[in-house]
Amino acid sequence: MAVCIAVIAKENYPLYIRSVPTQNELKFHYTVHTSLDVVEEKISAVGKSIGDQRELYLGLLYPTEDYKVYGYVTNSKVKFVIVVDSSNTSLRDNEIRSMFRKLHNSFTDVMCNPFHNPGDSIQSKAFDGIVSGMMVQTG
Amino acid sequence: IRDPNNQVQVVKNLRICVNKVVLSCQPQEGAVTNVMTTGDYELNFSATTPWFEAYRENFLQSMPAADHEFLNHYLACLLVVSSTEAVPVEQFLKLSQEQHRIQHSGEYTNPKWFIPNTLKYYVLLHDTSEGDEQRADAVYEDMKQRYGPQGCYLLKMNSRTFSAEKDEQIPDPWSQYLHKNILRNQVSTVTLSKCTGRSLSSDVNCSARDPDVLVVGAGSHGACLTLNDHDHIRQFVQEFTFRGLLPHLEKNIRQLNDQLVSRKGLSRSLFTATKKWFGGGKVPEKNISEPKSTCGLLYPPEAPELQIRKMADLCFLVQHYELAYSCYHTAKKDFLSDQAMLYAAGALEMAAVSAFLQGGAPRPYPAHYMDTAIQTYKDVCKNMVLAERCALLSAEILKSQGKYSDAATLLIKMTSEDSDLRSALLLEQAAHCFINMRNPMVRKFAFHMILAGHRFSKAGQRRHALRCYCQAMQVYKDRGWSLAEDHINFTIGRQSFTLRQPDNAVIAFRQILINDSRQTATQQGAFLREYLYVYKSVIGASDISLPQLPLPCINSSATRVYFGHERRLAEGEKQAATHVSLDQEYDQDSSAMWCHLEEQLVASVNRGIVPANFQPTQYCLNNQTDNLRHPLAVVEEPIIVEVTFKNPLKVSLALSNLSLLWKFSSDGTSSSKETKTEDLTEETITNEETTAVGVGNVGHQTLDLMVVRGRQNLKILGPRLNLTKEDKMLIRHGPDRRLDPIITPPMPLMEVFFLQFPTALLCGEIRKAYVEFCNVSGVALCGLRVASTHPDFFTFGSQATTPLTPISPNSAENCSAYKTLATALQPGSVASEVLVSADDFSQPSGVIEIPIDGNTLQSGESTQLPLWLRGPDEEGVHEINFLFYYESTEKGLKISHRVLRHTVFICASRSLSVQASACRSSVPPHHCLDDKGSGGTLVFVDVENINTSEGGVREFHIVQVSSSSQHWRLHKYINPDKDKGLSGIMGHLCFISSWFISISKYSLLSTSDAVEKYTFADLNLGNERIISSSTPCGDFFFRSSSRTSSIGKSQGSLPTEDRGSDITNIVKKCNELDLNIIIIWKAYVVEDNKQLILEGQLHVALQTIGKEASSLTPKEEAQEMVLLKFKSELPPPVVLPCAELSQLIKTNLHYPETYTHPFVQDSLCLVPVTLTLSNCSLAQVDVIIDLKHKSSSPESLEVHSSFAWVGQTQYKLQLKPQEVLGLSLQACFLRAGVYNLNTPQVFAKPSEQSAMCETSQQTASPALIIINNTCDACWPADRTT
Repeated sequence: MAVCIAVIAKENYPLYIRSVPTQNELKFHYTVHTSLDVVEEKISAVGKSIGDQRELYLGLLYPTEDYKVYGYVTNSKVKFVIVVDSSNTSLRDNEIRSMFRKLHNSFTDVMCNPFHNPGDSIQSKAFDGIVSGMMVQTG
Repeated sequence: IRDPNNQVQVVKNLRICVNKVVLSCQPQEGAVTNVMTTGDYELNFSATTPWFEAYRENFLQSMPAADHEFLNHYLACLLVVSSTEAVPVEQFLKLSQEQHRIQHSGEYTNPKWFIPNTLKYYVLLHDTSEGDEQRADAVYEDMKQRYGPQGCYLLKMNSRTFSAEKDEQIPDPWSQYLHKNILRNQVSTVTLSKCTGRSLSSDVNCSARDPDVLVVGAGSHGACLTLNDHDHIRQFVQEFTFRGLLPHLEKNIRQLNDQLVSRKGLSRSLFTATKKWFGGGKVPEKNISEPKSTCGLLYPPEAPELQIRKMADLCFLVQHYELAYSCYHTAKKDFLSDQAMLYAAGALEMAAVSAFLQGGAPRPYPAHYMDTAIQTYKDVCKNMVLAERCALLSAEILKSQGKYSDAATLLIKMTSEDSDLRSALLLEQAAHCFINMRNPMVRKFAFHMILAGHRFSKAGQRRHALRCYCQAMQVYKDRGWSLAEDHINFTIGRQSFTLRQPDNAVIAFRQILINDSRQTATQQGAFLREYLYVYKSVIGASDISLPQLPLPCINSSATRVYFGHERRLAEGEKQAATHVSLDQEYDQDSSAMWCHLEEQLVASVNRGIVPANFQPTQYCLNNQTDNLRHPLAVVEEPIIVEVTFKNPLKVSLALSNLSLLWKFSSDGTSSSKETKTEDLTEETITNEETTAVGVGNVGHQTLDLMVVRGRQNLKILGPRLNLTKEDKMLIRHGPDRRLDPIITPPMPLMEVFFLQFPTALLCGEIRKAYVEFCNVSGVALCGLRVASTHPDFFTFGSQATTPLTPISPNSAENCSAYKTLATALQPGSVASEVLVSADDFSQPSGVIEIPIDGNTLQSGESTQLPLWLRGPDEEGVHEINFLFYYESTEKGLKISHRVLRHTVFICASRSLSVQASACRSSVPPHHCLDDKGSGGTLVFVDVENINTSEGGVREFHIVQVSSSSQHWRLHKYINPDKDKGLSGIMGHLCFISSWFISISKYSLLSTSDAVEKYTFADLNLGNERIISSSTPCGDFFFRSSSRTSSIGKSQGSLPTEDRGSDITNIVKKCNELDLNIIIIWKAYVVEDNKQLILEGQLHVALQTIGKEASSLTPKEEAQEMVLLKFKSELPPPVVLPCAELSQLIKTNLHYPETYTHPFVQDSLCLVPVTLTLSNCSLAQVDVIIDLKHKSSSPESLEVHSSFAWVGQTQYKLQLKPQEVLGLSLQACFLRAGVYNLNTPQVFAKPSEQSAMCETSQQTASPALIIINNTCDACWPADRTT
């Protein structure tokens, strides 16, 4: 379902990026990077209204011709971005939401690893497995 | 001749410009830039985009006039005739006709005319510098009559002569119009430029701008115009506008309005009626008959709908926006209802513009009008040019309203595949929109900049492309988006290279290579190739200085600097000192150890004081050593620099012809280096070593890399400081002077070789080896010393006792390490004694001065010395470090001394274990040969073979037992199993043999002697005597005893202080025994089918009587002793343990062993017995002797009964310190038999002690006396056991 999944640190550098068509990795990097603008916009918009309990899921960030970009921000301002093929119409908002939740759980596990240095790129195999699971699922 | 239609030319010129302008308006260097800080992004971009505005301008100007709108149709025509013309009036006529012909003949599609009867304005141009003024006036008058005063004008101006002053006074009047796009408010420019694009009618709100005049002042841009002329022109334009154009327009508007109003009612009803009636059929028919290409209706030029549009345009031109808007609005409605989409879109567009321009608008800006218009243009009409115009207008309007995101989406939507240039420009504008938003979207800006750059490069606009990429780079740089960064860098590199900026290209490519790339190997290879290509071309251009190479990375902090020659490790059978080499890893502990040794050495040289400026010598500098000082290097000695290269790429790099560049400054703070080259084709980290040659040849070497040459600076960043608070908060680095050595004058250089140096020894084994000192430098050295971590491991022999050993090792092959004397004495004979002063052997603080001849070693000289080694007492592998110290014979040099390190590993295996214990002998005095002694002590020595290696050692022979003590000496050797003799001592595995060796106290030498003297007593078991006091044996004895005694002292002092009472002191004193026993053994070892004889010695230190001491693990035993003492400390001092106090007095019974008495004659047998009491302590002791004391034990009772003491049975005596007292007793026997005489009870206490703590003294072994009857023996009956 997803063609690209990215985890971006609070300081906006990538912690993890994986995309399915590897030959076009650069494009996805650009896409994800650009989406951060929208993420920040959304965060600042939300932050103004009610401070504490905000929705982590940001929804569709923006559509491009071929892809839809979804965003999710953890409470520690780590951003998750999932890029989905536009042609894949079967994907509902709820499914994206659950994908993000799964991603978040796995990310939390990674962070709980005492040997993981926060701020380093994610090397965890378990996390990798979760991500590839999400990518393969569509086929 | 001026052409009245010169507008056409202008338009054409401008159209040609379209392509040029973009190129000509390159971003100016150092132009107005806007530094913008958004969050953590600092962006530097140009606020204005002149090229875009120029593009927009030209685009709008070059728009062809369309049928459906009239804004760029011509309103009026200026007919200009020069006054120099022969018949100006005729010319006017001609021009007028021509104009008419152009407008109405239909030959020309361009220009289009607004209204059929175009306003003609006749201008007579008169050049004031030449020509006849009167004639001009006359012609003008004629014109006035003919065309009316409103329709003509006489323009006088100067066109030929240059007046110098006006150049200075007037700024180029055209300049502001030529570059107006830069100076003007953007929105107004749009409208104004629309006006200018449109013939003469345009100059409604700006005075002197007229395309016509461009022709007049052509070329020099009005350089010839005087101030007056400007006024004239201004007047003329005013005249033209107010007299001619405006009234004409007013008239037209009124006309059109009237037409419309009059027609309105009719036409409306008519149209609606027809629609109602024919609506069903009419509309579809239209759709069929006029297919999509025309996009709806085509109105004839006179159609009423078009009249409305025309009027709206006129109103728009005269800035009557409100009316214009309503007109456009109605027009739009009409067009829409007629499905004339093109017209409708035009009307929509203009309605939106006029609504915007209305200012202080009563109605909000209808943005959707624009969107619809664009949509219509694009989709329905397929007219991209119009769509673009509309989009540009709309974007500008939106921008001015601050709706940047809308503007950006609009612009992005307009990008398409067909025109790269347009797309690039639009994308760039969109990017600027993103950055100008209230919450600037930096990343979108960057992304669109990249897109724009891409399109620019596709369109061939390299310069623009490069600029775009560079701006985008600001966002991506150093933020971990390496893939994107690499891509941008790569593009920048390529673009800069094609733009002939190879330096920038190199920098960009470098960046890619330096970054930790995540690219694939092939990609990296491509990058590398590209880089090398560019790099080569740069090198080709300038070969003065070599540029920096990015690859391979130098791990600068891992650089190691080594001072000195590469060592030869072995030379024949000589084994060189290990010293320091680059192969060794740096180890904190070992370096501290070396430093400590060096400190010891320096201290011993400087009479025990370490100088304040002492710095340990460092031969190899790395990132862990102390690099704050400048290292010292000796002249003509090499400096080796080891550089660690790292190849971060997945592509392998081949390095060749590496050389080290160096700089030498004459004040002596640098050195010279030269290089050895090595070829490497390794992919990963490769270490390259470089050697150095002496100072002097200041050459210029280069570093070659693959096909390119380049260099890398070796700059070492010091360690991060972390001492003060400031250091902790900032990142500061300390200095690192590893690579800045100071060259000093020549120093001696010594090499040390070892010969016959073993690697494995038995514990305690003595081996002789040779050491060779070799001065390889040109300077003499002296003060040779050595310090070691194991000073008891080796000895050079002491001068006083050194025997004359052969200097050359060859002759000593089979010789024993010991000095021996052949003796014919029987085994077990009396020991020979030698008295030796301890000073001869002692060495202070583990530093040993090496006895070389004359204490100096001249240059080139070498000397060999014997060296004795003794295997460590503990088994296992021992690391033994030697530090040789030497100094130059010259004093006052920068380097005070030099050192040489050597490390050996000795594997020690177990040999023998010797256990010795001493106990008081109760041997009767006549057994003692030495009557002077107060008493002897028996020493039991148990020797056990604990060697476990099956193959090696066959057997051990104990060759000799020697003693060494200040007070004691070995006296005699008693073996209980006489018949076993020597062979019995042969230790097979776990064979234990014991001797009893009597020792006697050596009373002659008292402690009052100032000099500590040791008596060596040798008790040889074979037929040669080893002089234990001489070199190897004595040396090792003192070495090891100094170590153990120091341990003993420190532990022994503790309890005495704690007690406070001197009882224990006294008690202990009398139990003290400082006897050291040296066991010298020989081992027969089979090795390679050859029998070898190894020799060795073991030391046992006996300190207390009754305690067992062992040669093994002396330390552990020492600890046990401590524990025991602490236990004895626990009971209060009053109740002293009997065991200790019982040692105070030594008793001996002297009596005849057998006594024959005729019991038949005399039934009472009286035997005189002498009880000798000797006070062992140094205090007065009260003694009570009770002969009749009843012991509780029944056994003794039994013996008791058989004899009785006669005479005084109780004595009370006081014994002075060390007094020996004989007491005559008499025993009375009744029968013959064997009796135990040892029944007297002796109680003793130190006399100062107030409390009674009398203790019964020990009852030694039974003293048996045999009483024989003279005639018949009846002894078996009474024999007791």
